[in-house]
Amino acid sequence: MPTAEKLHRLIQSGVHRMGEIEIQTNVANIPFMLTHWQDAAAVNKPEFGGVEVHRDPAAAREISTYAEDGTYRFTKGQVNLKRGWLMALGSLEELRQALDHFYPACLGLFLAEEDGTLEVEFLRDKLQRQTGMYRFARNISDAGAQQLVRTVCGPAHQCAKRILWQIDAATPLEDSEASRFNGIPGEVPQNEAIPLLCREACNHFVAECRRVAKTEFEQKPA
Amino acid sequence: MSIAPKPHSALLIVGHGSTENPDSSTPYFDHAAEIRRRNLFAEVHCCFWKEEPSMREVLYQVDSDEVYIVPDFISEGYFTQDVIPREFQLTGPTSVVRGKTLHYCLPVGVHPHMTDLILRRACETAPDIDPATTTLIITGHGTGLNQNSTKAIRDQVDLIAASGAGYAAVLDAYMEEQPFIAEWDQLSQTPNVIVVPFFISDGLHSYQDIPVLLGIDPEVGPAASQREVFRHNPHHLRGKTLYYTSAIGTERLLADVILDQISDFDQIHKPL
Repeated sequence: MPTAEKLHRLIQSGVHRMGEIEIQTNVANIPFMLTHWQDAAAVNKPEFGGVEVHRDPAAAREISTYAEDGTYRFTKGQVNLKRGWLMALGSLEELRQALDHFYPACLGLFLAEEDGTLEVEFLRDKLQRQTGMYRFARNISDAGAQQLVRTVCGPAHQCAKRILWQIDAATPLEDSEASRFNGIPGEVPQNEAIPLLCREACNHFVAECRRVAKTEFEQKPA
Repeated sequence: MSIAPKPHSALLIVGHGSTENPDSSTPYFDHAAEIRRRNLFAEVHCCFWKEEPSMREVLYQVDSDEVYIVPDFISEGYFTQDVIPREFQLTGPTSVVRGKTLHYCLPVGVHPHMTDLILRRACETAPDIDPATTTLIITGHGTGLNQNSTKAIRDQVDLIAASGAGYAAVLDAYMEEQPFIAEWDQLSQTPNVIVVPFFISDGLHSYQDIPVLLGIDPEVGPAASQREVFRHNPHHLRGKTLYYTSAIGTERLLADVILDQISDFDQIHKPL
């Protein structure tokens, strides 16, 4: 079944949230409306409460590139999506395109997890295949990596993804706010949201592993 | 070259991306939007090394069983020969990965049609100068990681020199290997010089690093889209008149070169 149809079924079953996006259907004769979840009421206001209105799903890229404070959101799981916009979309395919811009591949990852085909990559495997300047990242200790999860991942550090990976097959992540986060920012029941999944450590985490590995190396007694 | 519609196939445009400069990935999305408008493929997506979706994850958002992967890279090199095949788990020109048939095309930068794009960009930037009094320099990064990275530029130099475009000289120069772009004035014997950055995007290198090496900027400036004033041509520097173009990959017609690479792939690997 095509992804757009699976998305349709999810919405029909009551799903209305993905990351910081609220998905509303059939408001003002518009099939799908997207807003930041904190702006959800705008769809019912006259002239949408004055928020910026977009009709092209490709605008999602521009909306999600910078946070309100102007910082570049190079990983899209960050919980700093700016507010003050509304996207009015005419079809399921447009909805899918917009969500893929806001949260690249996240819908597909969730659907793959649902049908048991999602392949998770453990951190050691990810680090082992790094080349060039990131090759050194593989030298990070398990303790260093566990600590990094606490200091880099999770909503406290602006990442809303649910971590699926472990250090390696025998070493799960230690319990922390980051490792137990469910991938659903904002107050919404789990069965009403598409969670953001982290199937492998991101490039930012790998770069941090390299930094920590270098520090660990420099601090080793001669 | 025209391409027959592929309504059951997906196109994946692969780019480098950046964790520091959002302008870096803009051309890839522009090229994808241009091709999407032509309704040639069931789906057109972008994926990246440094941004999302990653090459490891993008296939999860692809419905089609047949996928053409085109590296929107300027040359054969470390990324096209090592990183992309590894990330997609490719085994050859055509690979079957997780039930999908992946066709791996050559990077856009090595296609002969890039020559037309460079000449067009040079003419647009310096429309009123006589090529006979002008040196055209194609500049790239240059790297020790893979020697092929400079080959695409040298090939273009040879093609333009033989094209009858009339430039007094056509040269290659690099940021990190000889001949160095920082010595552009010594490399050129003519009063006019056009420098074309052989990069896909106006990112760190073409709009921040190279202007410093050329002497246009005293120090590295902000990202291209954050600038109030873009480059003003010509620049009168070091006793010469210098024209500096934006990166060749920002050319809208690069979308055609992506399609050309798919067409070439089919001709070579999928004969009728």
